Amino acid sequence: MKILKKIQEASSLEELEGIRIKLFGKKGALAGEFAKLKDIPGPEKKAFAEGLNKKKAMLQNAVDEKYEFLKSQEIEAMLKKEAIDVSLYSSLGKKGALHPVMETMDKIIDYFVAMNFAVKDGPMVEDDFHNFEALNLPKSHPARDMQDTFYFNDGGLLRTHTSPVQIRTMLKTKPPIRIISPGSVFRRDYDLTHTPMFHQVEGLVVDESGTVSFANLKSILTDFLHYMFGDVEVRFRPSFFPFTEPSAEVDISCIFCAGDGCRVCSHTGWLEVLGCGIVDPNVFKAVGYDDVSGYAFGLGVERFAMLMHKVPDLRSLFEGDIRLLEQFR
Amino acid sequence: MIVTKNWLNEFVNLEGISNETLYETFNSIGLEVDSIERYTIPKKVVVGKILSCEKHPDADKLNVCQIDVGDKTLQIVCGAANVVDAKFVAVATVGAVLPDNFIIKDAKLRGVESAGMVCASSELGLPDTGKGIMILDESIGTLEVGCELGSYDTITDTVIELELTANRGDCLSIHGVARDLSVALEREMKPFVYESTHKEKLGVARVADIQANGIIEADLSYVLTHIESLHTPLLLTLRLAMVNIALGDKLENILSYATHTTGVILRAYSATSLKDDDERIRLQVNAQERGIITISSQEKEISLLGVNQNQEKQAKDKDSLLLLEASYIHPDILVNAVFDGSYNKDELYYKTSRGSEPNIAFGLEFSTLLLEKYAKGKCYEGYLTVENEWEELRLGIDTDEISAIIGKEISKSTIITILTALGFGVTNAGGSKIVVIIPRFRHDITHIQDITEEIVRIVGINNIESKPLAFIESNKLNQTTSQYQFKKSLRQSACATGFYENVSYIFCERSKLEKYGFSTVNEKLDLTNPIAEDLNTLRSTIVLNLLDAIKRNVSYTQKSIALFEIGAVFNSFRVQTEKFAMVFSGQNELESISNSGKPNKIDFASFTKRVSMVIGEFELVACREVNDFIHPYQSADIIFNGKRCGYISKLHPTIQEQYNIPDTFFTEIDFDALLPKHINATPISKFQGVYKDLSLVIDESTPYSAISDAISSLDIELLSSYYPVDIYQDTQLGTQKSLTIRLFIQSISKTLEENDIESVTSLVLDKLNKTSGATLR
Ligand SMILES: [Zn+2]
Repeated sequence: MKILKKIQEASSLEELEGIRIKLFGKKGALAGEFAKLKDIPGPEKKAFAEGLNKKKAMLQNAVDEKYEFLKSQEIEAMLKKEAIDVSLYSSLGKKGALHPVMETMDKIIDYFVAMNFAVKDGPMVEDDFHNFEALNLPKSHPARDMQDTFYFNDGGLLRTHTSPVQIRTMLKTKPPIRIISPGSVFRRDYDLTHTPMFHQVEGLVVDESGTVSFANLKSILTDFLHYMFGDVEVRFRPSFFPFTEPSAEVDISCIFCAGDGCRVCSHTGWLEVLGCGIVDPNVFKAVGYDDVSGYAFGLGVERFAMLMHKVPDLRSLFEGDIRLLEQFR
Repeated sequence: MIVTKNWLNEFVNLEGISNETLYETFNSIGLEVDSIERYTIPKKVVVGKILSCEKHPDADKLNVCQIDVGDKTLQIVCGAANVVDAKFVAVATVGAVLPDNFIIKDAKLRGVESAGMVCASSELGLPDTGKGIMILDESIGTLEVGCELGSYDTITDTVIELELTANRGDCLSIHGVARDLSVALEREMKPFVYESTHKEKLGVARVADIQANGIIEADLSYVLTHIESLHTPLLLTLRLAMVNIALGDKLENILSYATHTTGVILRAYSATSLKDDDERIRLQVNAQERGIITISSQEKEISLLGVNQNQEKQAKDKDSLLLLEASYIHPDILVNAVFDGSYNKDELYYKTSRGSEPNIAFGLEFSTLLLEKYAKGKCYEGYLTVENEWEELRLGIDTDEISAIIGKEISKSTIITILTALGFGVTNAGGSKIVVIIPRFRHDITHIQDITEEIVRIVGINNIESKPLAFIESNKLNQTTSQYQFKKSLRQSACATGFYENVSYIFCERSKLEKYGFSTVNEKLDLTNPIAEDLNTLRSTIVLNLLDAIKRNVSYTQKSIALFEIGAVFNSFRVQTEKFAMVFSGQNELESISNSGKPNKIDFASFTKRVSMVIGEFELVACREVNDFIHPYQSADIIFNGKRCGYISKLHPTIQEQYNIPDTFFTEIDFDALLPKHINATPISKFQGVYKDLSLVIDESTPYSAISDAISSLDIELLSSYYPVDIYQDTQLGTQKSLTIRLFIQSISKTLEENDIESVTSLVLDKLNKTSGATLR
C-alpha cells in the first residue's frame, strides 16, 4: 500500500496533516471509496463495507501513531532549543548563616525547653546585690578575685554571669522553679582565651526540701552532654563555687583525641565544659526561701561552640568575618 | 599550689602509689591537677667526690679537679667559681647524654685533658638552684661516690601543680595537701615529732615579754633563738625551686620552706634591733579598729598582723639573734579588716587571707628544728604567746539529710569515718543524728551542705548514680520562651535572605558615638573601668559595630557584605533595649553569567525589599531620625504594624568615604516592635475585584507618602488596596511629575458596577486635588 508508506515517511506534522486531509477529508480518498458503496449490489455490499471500514481504521491508526511520533519529536526539538549549561548556575544565590555562638545557644536552649525548662532573661546592667551579695559572694569574699568586674560610676555593674536572673526569678516567684537563663555576660579580661563579653546559659531547679539531689543533677547534665557532643565520657570533679555546695566541674572525654591526650585538652584527655552544684543555703536565705532544695549549673556558650565546630580562635567570633561565618551556612 | 611527691611523703606514706593514682585521686577529691611531671636524671651522671682542685695553668677562670667517681678518679676541668667550695658534686661522665642531646665526650680544655663535666642543676634538666655548679650534700640522702644521681628519689621527684579552689586555704601547704590525701588513700598521717636537742638554758621571759592591748582576735607565738653559720642544704633549695618559690637569702629560704611545708605564717625579726636600752625586748600587741592587729616594739610598728612586716626590723642572714613569729588570724576577720584599706600587702597575705594553718606551734617547732639543723640554732626556753579564745564550731547534722542532698544512701558509719579522718570531731547523737566539731583549719565549713561536699569528695562523684528528677507536669512556655522562638525564626529568615549573623561587643567608643551624632550614656552612669579606650562606653546603636565589620570584610576583599545583629543598646539613661540591625554593602549579588559579570550595586529598593522579606511588610515615611550616617535624601522611618519603630538609610557618602567602603545601606529597628501581634481574620470577598490605574500630575516635591496618607484618610470601604506603580518626569512637566497609582477595588458583598468604580476614583481624585493639587494627566 503506497499510502501507508507515505504516512510512515511523512517528515513533518504539516506533511502528515496534508496526507490526513487527502485521506479523510470530505473530498478525500476514503470519502470517494465510501461513495462507491451505494453502487455495490446487496450481497457484496456488506463485505465491501467491512473491508473499507477495516482499511479506514488501519489508516487512522497509522496516522495517529505517526502523529504521536512527530509531535514528540517536535517537543523534543523545542526542549533542545531551550537547553542551558546548568552547571554554570551552581550556587548563584547564597544563604546567610547563623552565628556559630548563637546557633549553639539555640541548640542548648532547645534541649532545656524540651526538658520543660522556662527561658528567663534579665538586665545586663546589674547591682551588687543581685550579681554578688545574694549569690553568697560578699564584698570580702576571696572568690571575687575570680571575677574581674566592669563597674559604672554610679556603682552599678555589668553582670559577670547570668546568675542574677536566677535571683530575680526567685525573688519574684515561689517554687517549684525550673528555668534557664541564656545571655551575654561581661568580665574585664582580654587575651587569647578571654573576651570582655561572652555568653552563658545557666539553669536552676528548685523544689521542696529533700526532692532535688546531686544525683538528679548528674543525670540531666550527663544526658545534656550526650545530646550536645554525642558518645562521650562524662566525668564529674568536686570543685568550688560560692553559690553551690557541693559543687562540681564537669569534663567530657576529649572529642579531638578520644581521650588519648592532645594539645586542646592539654594532654589530659578531658575537656572541662560545665560547672554545677547543689544551691548553697545562703543563696536561698538571701531570697527568703525556706525548706527547699535545688540544683544549678552554668556553661560558657563560646566554649561549646568552639569545641563543637573546632573554631581555633575565640576573638575571631566577634569580628563579623564573613570568611568564618560563611562556613556555617 | 605546687607540691612534690617526695615532700608529701614526709607526712603521708606514698610508697607504691603511682603517679596515675595520684593524678586521679587529687582530681576526684577536688584538688584539680594542672600538671604532673617527674624529673629524670640522665644515665652516667654520678656522685663524685672532689679530691683536689687546682687552677688551670693557662686559664684563670678554670679549675682542674681530680674527682673520685667510685671505680676511678677522673680529671675534669670546671669553669664554675663555686667548685672550690664543693666536696660532692654531680659528674656527667663520658657517654652521658644531657638534655638538648648534649653528649659528654673526652675533651681538652686549653691543653688540659678533661674526662667529663661537673654539672649545674639546670644542665641536668632540674630547676635552677643558683649560680654555679650544684653542690651535693647529705640532705638528699646518703652520698655514695659513684652512685647514679638518678637513683635519689629526692632528686627525681614528681612535681604536681594543683589548682586550688578559693575555699581550700587548708591545702596551701604540703602538710595540708598530705592530710587530704591521707583520707582519700586511706593511709595514716606520719606524726611530726619535735624534740629539741640544743637549747639555751635561759627562759625567754628573762630577756623578753609580750603585752596584749585590747581584744586580740588572733593567735601569736614567738621564739627567740641564737643562730650561727647559717646554710641552706640542697634539698631545701631544690624543693623550693621545684615548687616555683623564688629563692632569696638563706634565712628567707628556710622560712619559705617552713611556711610551704606547714602552712603556718612565719616571720623573723632581727632581735638585736628590737632591744630597749636595758637589753630587754618588749612586744606590744594592739587591737586596732575593724579587727586590725599591729605588733610594735620600742613604740614602733614592726608588723601588721597577716598583712606585712616592717622591712627595717626583718631579720637578715647576718643576724645572730632571731625573734621568730608564728601567727594565725581568721581569714574572714582579716579580709573584712583590710577591705577598702590601702595597706601594703606582702606575699604572705595571700595565704593568710585564704586561711593559713591555725596550729602555730607546729610552724614554730618545724622552723626551729630547721634552724637547729642548718644554723646551729639554740632557742631560749619557752614561748611568748598571745592566744585568742576560739569558740568551737559545732553542727548538729542529720545524716539522712546528707543522703537526700546527694541522692544516694550513705551510711551513718561511713559519714563518721570520713569526717573523723578529715580531722573533724564527731559524736554520735542517736538515730540518724551526729554532732560535728569543725577543725579550725577548715574555716570554710559552716553548714550541712559544706559537710555534704566533704562526703561527696571522698565518696567520689563517679560513685553516685545518676537519677532523673521526677517533676509534676506544668507548662513552662512563658513569654520569654516564645520571644526566643520568635527571635530564632527572625534570625533564620535573615539568613534565608542572604544575611550573616553578627555578634559584637555591647561596648563602643564614646568619642566616636559623639562624633557621629549618636546618643551616649550620661557620664555619671558610664563605665568606671573600661577595658580599652575604644570600648569605653555602652553602645547606643549596633550600626557602628556593623560598619566596623564591613570595613574589616572589605579589607579581606569581600565584594558583597550582608550582616545582621540582634543585640542590646543603651540610651543616655542607660536603659537597655534590643535592636535588630541589618547592613548591606557593595554588590547586590556576585558576578555571574546571569548578570554578565556586571552585578548591580545594592540600592534603596533592593535593600528595602530584602528587609521586608525578613520582617514583613512595612511603610516608609519621611525620616525623623538624626545622625551623621543618614543620607538626607535616601532615608526613611519605618512604620511597622502602625508604629514608628526604626529607620532605613543609605550610608552618608562622607562616612562611606571615611570608612573607605562601597555603597552601603542599613536599618535599625526596635526588636520588640517586630514581635508578632495577635491577628483576627477578616472575611475574604467572593466577588471579583477591579484594578484601576490613575496617572496623576503633581508637584515634584510631593512625596508618595502624602498621596498615600490622603487616600488612607478617606477610609473607602470598596478600596481594598493601592500602591504606586510608575513615576515619570520630563521637561514638559516642568516642576511637576507624573505618578501612577494602582487602585484595587472590590466589594465584600456584591459584584461591582461601573458607577461603584467611578465613585471610588472620583473620591480619590477629589481628595488628592484638594490636598496636593493633583490632576489627571
Ligand atoms: Zn585531646
